[in-house]
Amino acid sequence: MAAWLVRRLAASIAIVFAVATITFLVVHIAHGTPCGPSEARPLAPDVCERQRVRFGYDQPLGVQYVKYLAALSRGDMGESFGLHRPVGDALADAIPNTFALALAALLIDFALGLALGIYQAARARRLGDIALGNVALFVNSMPVFWLGLVLLLVFAQWLRWFPVGGIHNPVLCPRLDSPYCLLDFLWHLTLPALTLGLVAAAGTARYQRAAMLEVIRQDYVRTARAKGLRERRVLLVHALRNALLPFITLCGLAFPFLLTGAVLIETVFAWPGMGRLAVSAILQRDYPVVTGAALVTSTMVVLGSLIADVLYAVADPRIRVRGA
Amino acid sequence: MSLWNWLALGGAAVVALAAVAQIRRRVTAAAAGRRFFRHPTAAAGLFVLAFVVSLALAAPLVAPYRPFVQIDITRLANHAPSAQFVLGTDPYARDVWSRLVFGARISLGIGAIAMLVAVTIGAGVGAVAGYFRRWVDMTVMRLVDVGLAMPRIFVMLMAVALWEHIALPVLVLLIGLTGWFGTSRLVRAEVLSLREREFVAAARALGAGPGRVIFRHVLPNVAAPIIVSAALGIGNVMLLEAGLSFLGMGVPSPAPSWGNMIADGWPKMAVAPWAATFPGLAISLVVMALNAVGDALRDALDPRKETL
Amino acid sequence: MPTARTLDRLTTRAALAGLVLLAACERRSGCGGDYCGTLVIAAAGEPDILLPPASEFAVTRDVTEQLFLKLADLGPSGNTVGDEDFQPQLAERWEWDAPTTLVFHLDPRARWQDGPAVTAADVAFTYDAYTDTLVNSSFRSSVRQIAAVTTRDSLTVVFRFRQRYPEMFYDAVYHMRILPAHLLREVPRDQWRSTAFGRAPVGDGPYRFVAWKAGESIELAADSTFFLGRPHLRRVIWRFTPDQQVAVTQLIAGDADAVEVLISPDNVQRARADTQLATYPYRGSAYGYVGFNLAAAGDTTKPHPLFGDRELRRALVMATDRGRLLHNVFGDFAKVPPGPMSQLWWIWDPDIRELPYDSAQAARHLTRSGWIDSDGDGVRDRDGRPLAFRLLVPTTSAIRRQYARLLQEQFRTVGVDVQLDEVDFSVFNERARAGRFDALINVWNTDPTPSSGFPQTWTPAGFGRSNYGRYDNPTVDLLVDRAVASAANREQARRAWRGAIETLNQDAPAVFLFATENVAAVHKRIADVRIRPDSWAALLRTWRIPADRLTDRDRVER
Repeated sequence: MAAWLVRRLAASIAIVFAVATITFLVVHIAHGTPCGPSEARPLAPDVCERQRVRFGYDQPLGVQYVKYLAALSRGDMGESFGLHRPVGDALADAIPNTFALALAALLIDFALGLALGIYQAARARRLGDIALGNVALFVNSMPVFWLGLVLLLVFAQWLRWFPVGGIHNPVLCPRLDSPYCLLDFLWHLTLPALTLGLVAAAGTARYQRAAMLEVIRQDYVRTARAKGLRERRVLLVHALRNALLPFITLCGLAFPFLLTGAVLIETVFAWPGMGRLAVSAILQRDYPVVTGAALVTSTMVVLGSLIADVLYAVADPRIRVRGA
Repeated sequence: MSLWNWLALGGAAVVALAAVAQIRRRVTAAAAGRRFFRHPTAAAGLFVLAFVVSLALAAPLVAPYRPFVQIDITRLANHAPSAQFVLGTDPYARDVWSRLVFGARISLGIGAIAMLVAVTIGAGVGAVAGYFRRWVDMTVMRLVDVGLAMPRIFVMLMAVALWEHIALPVLVLLIGLTGWFGTSRLVRAEVLSLREREFVAAARALGAGPGRVIFRHVLPNVAAPIIVSAALGIGNVMLLEAGLSFLGMGVPSPAPSWGNMIADGWPKMAVAPWAATFPGLAISLVVMALNAVGDALRDALDPRKETL
Repeated sequence: MPTARTLDRLTTRAALAGLVLLAACERRSGCGGDYCGTLVIAAAGEPDILLPPASEFAVTRDVTEQLFLKLADLGPSGNTVGDEDFQPQLAERWEWDAPTTLVFHLDPRARWQDGPAVTAADVAFTYDAYTDTLVNSSFRSSVRQIAAVTTRDSLTVVFRFRQRYPEMFYDAVYHMRILPAHLLREVPRDQWRSTAFGRAPVGDGPYRFVAWKAGESIELAADSTFFLGRPHLRRVIWRFTPDQQVAVTQLIAGDADAVEVLISPDNVQRARADTQLATYPYRGSAYGYVGFNLAAAGDTTKPHPLFGDRELRRALVMATDRGRLLHNVFGDFAKVPPGPMSQLWWIWDPDIRELPYDSAQAARHLTRSGWIDSDGDGVRDRDGRPLAFRLLVPTTSAIRRQYARLLQEQFRTVGVDVQLDEVDFSVFNERARAGRFDALINVWNTDPTPSSGFPQTWTPAGFGRSNYGRYDNPTVDLLVDRAVASAANREQARRAWRGAIETLNQDAPAVFLFATENVAAVHKRIADVRIRPDSWAALLRTWRIPADRLTDRDRVER
């Protein structure tokens, strides 16, 4: 198990390293150094000077690459052109917001997806199952941002139940330091999280339904039924426990989806997370932020699948045998 | 819409129905075909796809206007759906229905071509990695890991940011080039198991080269997962295209891709919700049909897993 | 197992508990009285830097208006001729020592917010900065008639002009915001556009800088000791949105208290229907146009391969049905300008001659000069080169994006292919200044008088700064000089302006699309809302919220 874990961890680090290298190379090939004479978007001379010393822009590519990696290992991702602050700081502000959104969406995803999946499995091939299945398939096929726009129009602009965007009330709650502000934050969080969560939940429900059906057919469930246990108990205790196993994999898979969806959803709802940071950086040709965001996102994706793998291994001993 | 347009629309529906019926008759001879049509939504999904494709092909007949024509920008902008404009007009007084129909060409076209690129590369890479194993497999699969670690939309956005403007063919190619990682993994796994089977071993024993073995013996036998991932892939590409266009980095104006239509319509969402709503519904419907067909295909082609 | 009934009761109780919690957490106490109040302004676009000579953005002007004072400011009449209608700000009084020598006496109460008094040396320093080629301020051309600024003693400063002209007082006070020499002297002049001071400025105005969250907001707080009277609103917050439409949406949803303009007729309708909002129409100071780059994109020494050709530009102007485009975008809330001018300018005159809309003649012109669709692809071409160009548009402006799509179709019908370059505002601005574009859709917020507003943008004085397309016609320059010199005599000046603008119209350096008629919307609890058309937030310090209308947002202590 330990050896497997170490190997898995090493592979993850290698992937992140490769992503860093690729972004470095791509930006350099297409774009040169940020302070070059032909630069369309020049940095201020003082910032340039700092950058030049730190990243060695006047030196050969190899040296630059080493310096870049060295800086990266210290968590230094350079200076943003547009935000007038280090990229690391900007990302550090944005990441918790994206996490909050992804976490809330994940909660909705699992709660709703599980419930729907179980219900559908219990009613398999009856009207309720088929209707819900089609609705779920439809929702799962929507462009996430479009659903966001529709929810925004209906619940924020027409009904005015929710704010039209942002993460908090800038006057009353610039910081999360009171229960009132926590509520304010949750109130702002609802629509974006619901948008992401709904689309993801529709996928989860389909997956969960299939997993449940698989389990229901197995002997021990039949035994449980034969023992005279009530259907509800059979489903929720015996079947669900085993159907949850593939669910862990789903967590790992849901994570990239949520991060990708967040890019668009954060733009729609003016949510100051990584996605919006990245999109506005791209629009402003703010390359240090773009590469920084790409790197952090990749790291999170890799981390997500690593955690899922580990959880899976812990939950299912068979994996360990195969992995070791 | 004129009578002719309605007739053409009806014609498209009839063609689609006929196509589905024809397919059904042909394939139900085989067990896989029967399994496919046993799926409750498969026929409906197939019909939706056939219908949208025939609409796209017959666009000039079905659409009363050219997609870029601004009919009367002073009086007919943001016009609500009516007999003349069945889905209303957008803020630029363009007929939403006409744009939707012509847009099907672009959106489906991008989906199909990009998917073709992705699946070709994915199948090729996967087959090579699975067949040769050892260091080839190692290198390629680590590369795939890296590719899968970078969210696709990020890669696309970076590409768009680095070059000032990207022509449509390049965009399609880029979407294809960033979409093959999953397929290659799938194909590799299948090839790995196939490789050990008797008929492959026999082919090799008879002196067939790797190229011949891969193309003649291995790939035809992994067609099922490739077809399924292609069906699902088109949907993903369509969603990606919509997202990019929404961010202003996709298909350039005035081409009527469905993503573009949402982007053009949404600033006036409060006055003319139809302009952004219908293209969104269209995407959802087509992607849903693709998913349904993909699911049914998977069940039909792979009898081991039955989800019903 | 809970029945449906008990479940219902449970949710009701949970909801009630939530409400109680909410009520308990609301801040009933806090600020009360006349000097409370928080104003949240939703703005499209964010300042690049809060240092007046180094930025041309309208939103920079709105914010710095609260931070830095001028020597004197425009009065309610808006008259820019002579000095009678100006109101004292930093200067408590002034006199003329000679026809070209103007002496200001600074108000001894004026203080920089970090302590020191505002002195004559600050004024001299400011003039030096505004005219420095390294700072390269857009306002340099506006103060070109001032020969020197010297100090007589610590509170007396002397302006010497090159010549006498009617709007010389206006030029002395309107363009420059006085800057703190003690904080900026050490900053190298070529780094003014990126100095840290510009991210956290220290001023002498009614408000002091509190915070700038990049991409989100700028917060200012009232300076309770401000020598010209304590501002009523305690806090002013600019909230930045990706575009104007989002700003309006935030206002209508109650997330913001004010927007500068409602842009489209449907927004005006929605704001008027809203019981929480009051609308304030005011004369628009902005005009928008498609500007052609007369020089090659990125190389100012060569003419542009297309737009270097006057005939082609004229054909494109004639191919544009500006009235219909305007109606689609603005409804009745704008007019087609008869040249480069806002409705604020007194020279506005619908009778000024310009090229007519005549797409048939435009097409004939194009054909005659050799632009024919020889390959049948719908786009004209000549010598194998298609008649195609890229139009630069900022994504922050919903109006300009809308115009871009309308123009694209309009030009297509005469066989001209237009591709859109939609970029972020900061990128737009850089490319425009650097001349890296074929054509662009630009909007100017004009000065209150053409005497300073026109030369900045349509004469060589603006090369490398606000004259993006590098338009240059000596006849126009001559007529403008004559007009500026005769500003006191309205009829004479009007004739000269008319001549200049008609000449410019014949050269067709741009398609003048719209001159706005603005409607601002402000939350009803805010009283005494006064808007000065040339700078809508200039009088912000007089806006107030009566004590009985304060909301939690106003009372909260932070």
